[in-house]
Parts: sequence; structure tokens; C-alpha cells
Amino acid sequence: MSETLEQSFVKQLKENQNIVHKICRLYTADSDAHNDLFQEITIQLWKAFPKFRGESKFSTWAYRVALNTAITLYRKSTRSVNTVTYEAQQHFFVQDEYNHEEEERLKLMYQAVQQLNDIEKALVYMYLEDKDYTEIAETLGISEVNARVKMNRIKGKLIKILNP
Amino acid sequence: MEELDLLKKAWQKDTQSFQQVTENEIYKMLHKNSSSSVKWILIISILELALWTLMNVIFNADEYIKQMHAEEMMIYLKVLNYINWAVILWFIYRFYTNYIKISTTNSTKQLMHDILKTRKTVQNYVWYNLGMVVVSSVLGFVMAFLYSPDLGLIKDQIAQDEGNGTIIKIVCMLSLVMIVFLVIFWLFYKLLYGFLLRRLSNNYKELKKIDL
Repeated sequence: MSETLEQSFVKQLKENQNIVHKICRLYTADSDAHNDLFQEITIQLWKAFPKFRGESKFSTWAYRVALNTAITLYRKSTRSVNTVTYEAQQHFFVQDEYNHEEEERLKLMYQAVQQLNDIEKALVYMYLEDKDYTEIAETLGISEVNARVKMNRIKGKLIKILNP
Repeated sequence: MEELDLLKKAWQKDTQSFQQVTENEIYKMLHKNSSSSVKWILIISILELALWTLMNVIFNADEYIKQMHAEEMMIYLKVLNYINWAVILWFIYRFYTNYIKISTTNSTKQLMHDILKTRKTVQNYVWYNLGMVVVSSVLGFVMAFLYSPDLGLIKDQIAQDEGNGTIIKIVCMLSLVMIVFLVIFWLFYKLLYGFLLRRLSNNYKELKKIDL
């Protein structure tokens, strides 16, 4: 029995949903906005899906559409602009293998990342996902050299935020 | 940077902290309406195109010209009218091709560029129409002045004037009305698209700055 396009899409998105969740967490401050953005990304992915021919992995294709949606198409509700609440990341750092001190450092680091602007967050996201600079540059549409330079600047900015 | 690499490790291990969405929920999402800025730009743009095209249909000057017995002007107005329609069709075609190009699978910069270009086309369309409103108002006034019997009184007054007081007053008044009209439109646009596109334009500027 052959799968319909819709079935195949839903299955793949369900398997890869953490990609979308991670982007939502980076770009929104509370769970309402998170769900809002998740839905918008799902709609955009579905709209673009007929063009996805499986040349790349679903995950590689999906994160790009998701980032573009978060940066360009999504309109934040005004209430969540610049007010970072940390409820969304409460579970994130509760991982057994980290000691308390490391957990604290992680939390501070994550809060620092939250203070970056949309473009900087996109670079950090791809850095955290271990994408190489060729891919980062291609995704954003900038040169590789400039992507590298920008990433170094962002690291500097994060250090400043952490050690004011 | 040590902290960032610590975060990277935690980030990549992290698969448990999100409430998982079920297949059923995804199906439901597929049938919900998008609230993306592009969708709103599309809706507003189509309304604008329709509104101004409608205005062109409704405000047909033929009757008015017949009333004024200015038939000799008809041929010029007809030519102007055809040119106007050609320009309008060109704008609509441009808008359509720009809109088709918008794709979330492009690079972020290209996507933003395409969105802003689509908007720019519609904006130019509106400015073109406002320009036409100004041009045809001036033309209309000149024609009325030359042909319309209603303006006899004003003409008499101008003829009686020692200097050019009356005509200067009329021109000033009409210019003022047009300027106010244009400023109101400009403000309306700033607000409308500013609201929709502030975030996108800021991000586009930021991205362009990186590549300088």
C-alpha cells in the first residue's frame, strides 16, 4: 500500500520534530509562543514539502525551512518580545550526568544565548547542531568567511554577557 | 569558548525535554491557517491592486468631458487611458512573478530579499496610482477652467484682479489639499507595513551587515 504525500510528511515530521522544537525554544519565550511557532513551521514545511525531493535528508531540509520561518515569516506576539522567561528550559538541564556546578554554567550560557538577536541565534543554532561553515553560509546566504567572522564575534559577545 | 561547547554537548544529547506532538496533532495543524507575514502581505497587496483597479474603472471621465463639451480632448485622454492600463497590467504581472519566487527553501537572505521585493512592487503600484491621481486632478482642473461653464464666476474674479492674487490662492489651496492627501497615505503605509515587516527588515539589515 502506498503512502500518500500527507502520510509520509506527517510521519517524517513526527520523527524529526525535535529539530523544530529546538528552534522554537530558541526563538520564543513561553510555551504559548512555542506552540504557535511550531504550528507555523509545520504549515510552512507542508507547503514546501512537494518541492522536497529527498536529495538531502528530511532533517537537513526541515531545519532550513524552520529557521527561515522563525526569522522571516513568524510575527511574534508583542507580549513575548524581549521578555525571556525560563520556564521552557526547566527540563533541559536536568540531566543526571551533570553536576550542579556545570548545570549552573549551562543555564547562564543558555540565558546569554537567549539575549542574542534573531540572526545571531540562527548562527548559534547551526553551531550547536554541528553544521560546518559551508552549510551555515549557504543556509543564511552569506559568504563562508563572513559566517566565520560573525560566529567569532558572537562568541565574544557571549563572553561579555557572561562576564559583565 | 568552553561554555558554548558545554552547551553544544548538552544540546545534542537533549531529546527528552520536549513534549512530543502526535501524528494526529500534526494532521490538525496542516489544516490550520498560516499567520505568516507573507500571507498578510499577499492579502493586503491583492486588496490594494483590486481597489486601485476598481477606482480606475469607476472614475471614468468620459461623461464629465461630454458635459463640458471638451470632445477635442477625448483622444488624448483615451491614449492616456490605454497607457495607464498597460502599466497596471505590468505591475500585476510583476507582483505575481515576485510572489511565486518566494520560497522558504531559499537561503534566508534570498527569501527576505524576495519578500521585500514583492512588497516594493505593490508599494510602487500605489505610488504610481497616487501620481496619476495628482496628474489627473491637475488636468481636470485645467480642463474645468478652460471649458466648464460653472467656473465662470471665478474666471471673472481672476480677470478683475489687479495682480494674480486669486489664481495664486487657488493653486496654493489645491497643492495643500494634495500634499495632505499624500502625507496621510504615506503615514498609512508606514504603519501598515511597518507593523508587518519591522522584524523582517531588521533581520535583513542585520544579515546584510554581516556580508559588508
